[in-house]
Amino acid sequence: MFSSLPESFRAHGLSADVRTLLVLRKAMQKELVKTLGDMYNVLKGIVVKEPTDLGPFTRAYYEYFLDIAIRHDERLDDAVLRSKTFQEWRANQEGEHDISTEDLINKFLDQVHLTKYDIKEIISGKDIFDNDDPDRKDEDSNDNSDEKPVERNLDKMVDYSGLTLEELLERMKKVQEQQKSKHSGGSHWIGTGGTSPYGHGGAAKDGIRVGGTGGGKMARKVIGDKNYYPVDTNALLNDDNVDAALSAIKGVIEESAIEKLDVPLTIKTGLKRGGLFLPELVSETTEQMRIILLIDNGGYSMSPYIRSVRHLFGKMRTRFAHDLEVFYFHNTIYDVVYKDDRRSKRLPIEQLVKYAKEYRVFFIGDAAMAPYEINHTSVNSLMAITKHFKKHVWLNPEPLRYWQSTETIQLIKRIIPMYPLTPNGIERAVRHMNGKGVG
Amino acid sequence: MAETSHWTGSEKYLCDPELAQAFHMARTLGMPLLIEGEPGTGKTELPLQYASDLQLDLFTYPVGSKSNVEQFVARFDHVKYLRDSQIEILNAQREEKGLDSKLSTGGRDTENLGDYVAKGPAAKAYLSKNSVLLIDEIDKAPREFPNDLLYALSHRKFIMPESGEEVSASEENMPAIVITSNREQELPTAFKGRCIYHYIHFPDKEVMGQIIEKHHPNIEDKIVNTAIDMFYHLRTLGLERAPTTREILNWLKYIKDVKPKEAVEKIERLDGIGALIKTQTDMERVNRVIHSHTLGSQGGFSTN
Repeated sequence: MFSSLPESFRAHGLSADVRTLLVLRKAMQKELVKTLGDMYNVLKGIVVKEPTDLGPFTRAYYEYFLDIAIRHDERLDDAVLRSKTFQEWRANQEGEHDISTEDLINKFLDQVHLTKYDIKEIISGKDIFDNDDPDRKDEDSNDNSDEKPVERNLDKMVDYSGLTLEELLERMKKVQEQQKSKHSGGSHWIGTGGTSPYGHGGAAKDGIRVGGTGGGKMARKVIGDKNYYPVDTNALLNDDNVDAALSAIKGVIEESAIEKLDVPLTIKTGLKRGGLFLPELVSETTEQMRIILLIDNGGYSMSPYIRSVRHLFGKMRTRFAHDLEVFYFHNTIYDVVYKDDRRSKRLPIEQLVKYAKEYRVFFIGDAAMAPYEINHTSVNSLMAITKHFKKHVWLNPEPLRYWQSTETIQLIKRIIPMYPLTPNGIERAVRHMNGKGVG
Repeated sequence: MAETSHWTGSEKYLCDPELAQAFHMARTLGMPLLIEGEPGTGKTELPLQYASDLQLDLFTYPVGSKSNVEQFVARFDHVKYLRDSQIEILNAQREEKGLDSKLSTGGRDTENLGDYVAKGPAAKAYLSKNSVLLIDEIDKAPREFPNDLLYALSHRKFIMPESGEEVSASEENMPAIVITSNREQELPTAFKGRCIYHYIHFPDKEVMGQIIEKHHPNIEDKIVNTAIDMFYHLRTLGLERAPTTREILNWLKYIKDVKPKEAVEKIERLDGIGALIKTQTDMERVNRVIHSHTLGSQGGFSTN
């Protein structure tokens, strides 16, 4: 039944496959998974590959292991509260009627996220944990009243350690079936005691109050914070996805770390040594990141994007030391571009094309204008730029569906490869620039 | 198994329980732990503190834009080898001419290729039992580096160049491998797949209080609390480079020598803010905020 785990996690946009199961199996063999909370942590370490996976992962986990589906924009608490799993669990909590719902949810989350580390922390002494044997526990409790709560906690602990993976799978399968049937009779994962297929005996009357379990708190935070969800890389560039765009644009940096034999230097120094030739190596590092930005800042259609674009490339500049030149134009380029955003300082095209041809040129504009604006001069200028700078793309904030119907977009697209101004589009543009056929 | 005790931090270092568990899991499974998080959240501290607390050997490989897997594992020093072999010829010639003085090869023998293998941190860590291997800031590396590394790490064995010598570690005494990244560049999926991943969340106020306690145990609570409030306020301004743990610790280092009452005032005036704010645009923005705040509190009569 774990076999459906990768599939179900992939449905949340996570990467999970057979390898996930193999590592999980190994973790179980190494006794890393003793509680449901351990399962969360271990799977998190295996499946989550970046912070934006945390949100989807937590959802997938709650859905898969607890049958709690968290709706979009829903708080974890609300999802828990309306879930059948919680209702059943609650029904098994005796003498808890005077506890507020909030506390009950906290207790539920504490139990879900209880890890073997927490248990170890409660029980001072690894022995009790390792050989937890009901008889011995009784003795202990007589000897030492301090340890009493500890043993009671142990009762409620969900212990997988004695099970083989196959047994565990079998049991989990049973639970899922039970949870799907109308009357599951309150059996489930977390420490409900007697009826739980995972508990090993004693009934759980009291919640496990572990000060240290931050798991539930963290799950709450993750569900409630959009930073832990992937950004829509097809959304137009905005402050939320500018980082995703940034990582795409970093692809324009060409770098390598190869040491090469410096032949001329070797000969020169070898001759000086009277024929003792020692190889002289030169490290060939190329970090090239020279960019010319040509931004259309005329007209209202462009203004929402200029800030994001400058923010994006500005961020690039703070991280890497390289050349970034920004020029402005309105609608299309005639014989000049402008050095300032008010378009008062002119730079003739003849001078623009004197920049080193290694510069990568990004045109950014909606390319929407009256067809007559793209006249002979304009076409010539664009051609001159693209002829000189082999690596060039046009990023367009206009939604893709309008491209077909806008005549000037079609015109310019024939001269300059055009991509949408989205993180995804930027990534494709950069890949195009780095393509073998270009430059 | 490698050293697999569950290490939860030391006197000087507050290890987030989640991180401690991920680290334990990685060591138990014999996989590298990949830690990501904002700069200044103590990514590098984990292996350093762990090694010093348990007195284990630590090998660090700081990754840079020129890093390659040869430097990391081992490389054959062709230059030395060629030099020494030429020296042998020279010495032979000198002998023919009846000259006594010989050039030295520094005890290296050209017959023994192993003498010319310069071992990198990875090979050294594998040779030292239960050591700690830190690969710092892997996101700075050229793009092919993580994948090359992956291959090197997925076998518990390195073969030394030219000499063919094998360096291996058993599962029992595998080094604990920790890799840190500031996310300045995406790492290949295949690489991440071979690591246990942990993302360090930025600590909340409560945890920050505990961290400060560890570093500056003698500062009064009131000062710490004021500083923390100010610090988290700054972090909400949406600065280009939001201040991190490292910065608040430095700031408090500056503040702590002052008398408590003055210290609180200093914090409220944002004295020594250079410790917190690192770019010009951010500084301007903070100044604007302080300025408007001052104006507001004085009823708008300030002429300044």
